[in-house]
Amino acid sequence: MKYLPYILKHLRRHWFRSLLTVLAMTFCIFVFCVLQTFLAAVNQNLKAGNSSRLVTRHAVSLVFNMPQAYRDRIAGVAGVTNVAMENWFGGARKAGDFKDFFPNLAVEAEPFLQMYPEYILTDEAKRSWLEDQSGCIIGPNTAQRFGWKVGDAFQLESFIPPYRIGKPFEFTIRGIYATDEKRFPGTDKTVMFFHWKYLFEATGRRVGVGTYVTTIADPNQAGTISHAIDALFENSDAQTHTETEQAFRASFVAMAGNLALLLNLIGLAVIFVILLVTANTMSMAVRERRTEMGVLKTLGFSSGKVMGLILAEAGLLGAIGGAIGIFFSTGMIKALPFLPFIGDAVRGIADFGLPGSVALTGFSLALGIGLIAGLAPALAAYRARITDLLRQV
Amino acid sequence: MAMVEVRGVGKVYRRDAQTITVLDGLDLDVQEGEFLALMGPSGSGKTTLLNLIAGIDRPTRGSVKVAGTNVAALSEGALARWRSHNVGFIFQFYNLIPVLTAEENVALPLLLERLSRKERNERAMTALKIVGLADRAKHSPRQLSGGQEQRVAIARAIVGDPKVLVADEPTGDLDAKSAEEILTLMETLNRDFRKTIVMVTHDPRAAQRAKRQLHLDKGVLQA
Repeated sequence: MKYLPYILKHLRRHWFRSLLTVLAMTFCIFVFCVLQTFLAAVNQNLKAGNSSRLVTRHAVSLVFNMPQAYRDRIAGVAGVTNVAMENWFGGARKAGDFKDFFPNLAVEAEPFLQMYPEYILTDEAKRSWLEDQSGCIIGPNTAQRFGWKVGDAFQLESFIPPYRIGKPFEFTIRGIYATDEKRFPGTDKTVMFFHWKYLFEATGRRVGVGTYVTTIADPNQAGTISHAIDALFENSDAQTHTETEQAFRASFVAMAGNLALLLNLIGLAVIFVILLVTANTMSMAVRERRTEMGVLKTLGFSSGKVMGLILAEAGLLGAIGGAIGIFFSTGMIKALPFLPFIGDAVRGIADFGLPGSVALTGFSLALGIGLIAGLAPALAAYRARITDLLRQV
Repeated sequence: MAMVEVRGVGKVYRRDAQTITVLDGLDLDVQEGEFLALMGPSGSGKTTLLNLIAGIDRPTRGSVKVAGTNVAALSEGALARWRSHNVGFIFQFYNLIPVLTAEENVALPLLLERLSRKERNERAMTALKIVGLADRAKHSPRQLSGGQEQRVAIARAIVGDPKVLVADEPTGDLDAKSAEEILTLMETLNRDFRKTIVMVTHDPRAAQRAKRQLHLDKGVLQA
């Protein structure tokens, strides 16, 4: 600690160069934290998927619906214990305005409640929802976001053409579900569920089924049962594709190409460039001070101590840049949902915020980059003989 | 026993296939409290000998004992510790750290000691008072004249109360008046503070201020 003022004074010696290096590091950690937060949110979403639940969709695309008649045939497949119909509604409080968006799905309420223990409701809330066709349940975060409570009413309008009926759908909140992070980590706290029947009736009984969710007795049989379900509809107009819920969620990520790989590659490229920038700064800083290194050694500073001072200086550059980068990324991550275009993409992600683990990794990375960048000049100073250092002009 | 005892010291530099013998079997004794001036032409080995005495270089052969310690036999770490306690080095170009104030420059060697900040500052101020620059403690080197910078460098050399001071052309970069002040200061340190001083110089007038003068030519001491 007693060397800190000495190190800080050296950083201030060429303050503009130090500032640029800190800014470069800030940018690096900012990009890293934002990208990793997005990836962490996606991964968390994937983890929340259940391997004992299968999802059946239209083989061509999710855009196409399947006939209701599939329900009973899927229920008859050996190993299937329950089936529920689900449709992504895509409703917004104002049509086409996704600023206040939250995920909303039409579900077959009774089997849904049996199949999804992660959404915890009181018996009274369950009963109340089941009895009210326009009733819905919402996540605690959505309730908090809009200040809604049980009994409140609101309207949603979908952007999906078959669900557009010339007026908004009206809903009454019949329950606010709770979650259990220990038993079901990563459960989305923002979703709204309403009756599939309500959607069906309101659209003039014209809509089909977006997805069938099934629970199976033995998760190890997921592959066999998936094949059995798809085989049922092999020769029909609407062929199906069945997979585990985890794989289904992962396919959303795959739709955007290999997103994780892309984001990681961008992050790596930025980190590599910043490593070179910082290494260059440190090399210049040390080369300019070779005589001073010689003086320090002459005064009795051991080679290890001189090396430590250079590494501490490089590490401090990294740490300052890293801390500022984390600060700005926290602000940016909070602001992302309110930005145009990108905001639409992240608003649906549950608990979108900078995770502590990402912040810690980002800070460690900044420190690591600083130390690695300082390693070569520090080693050179460590090895150099005093007489050679003092001979420099 | 002499404060500095150099016996049969040789120093050979190797550059590619070429070997350059700078010192060859040199013997030298410097008594405690002595002020010795080493003179000689460029390339005669004066600075090399000074570096060996200060423990910042090692002889190819022979031994260098300073205050009873065979400097050449110490490990790298032990030698660094030994330097911090036993030798004060005064450079021709002062070599102050430009980002530090005079006081901080003087206190720099004390960072190696277990001292509080207050103690370090007090000792630095004492050293600055000895060289007559207490009023310039908060000034940076660029705010000081050459002579003042060298006085700060001398304060840094004496702050750890070393037994031996080695000075490599301490007046080589100064005007006549400043050089005079520096030499007077070195005389004071030798006379009043009993510091043993070994000074390398080209300047015969500077050498005259020492108690003894020796000439070095082609690595051999002349009487």
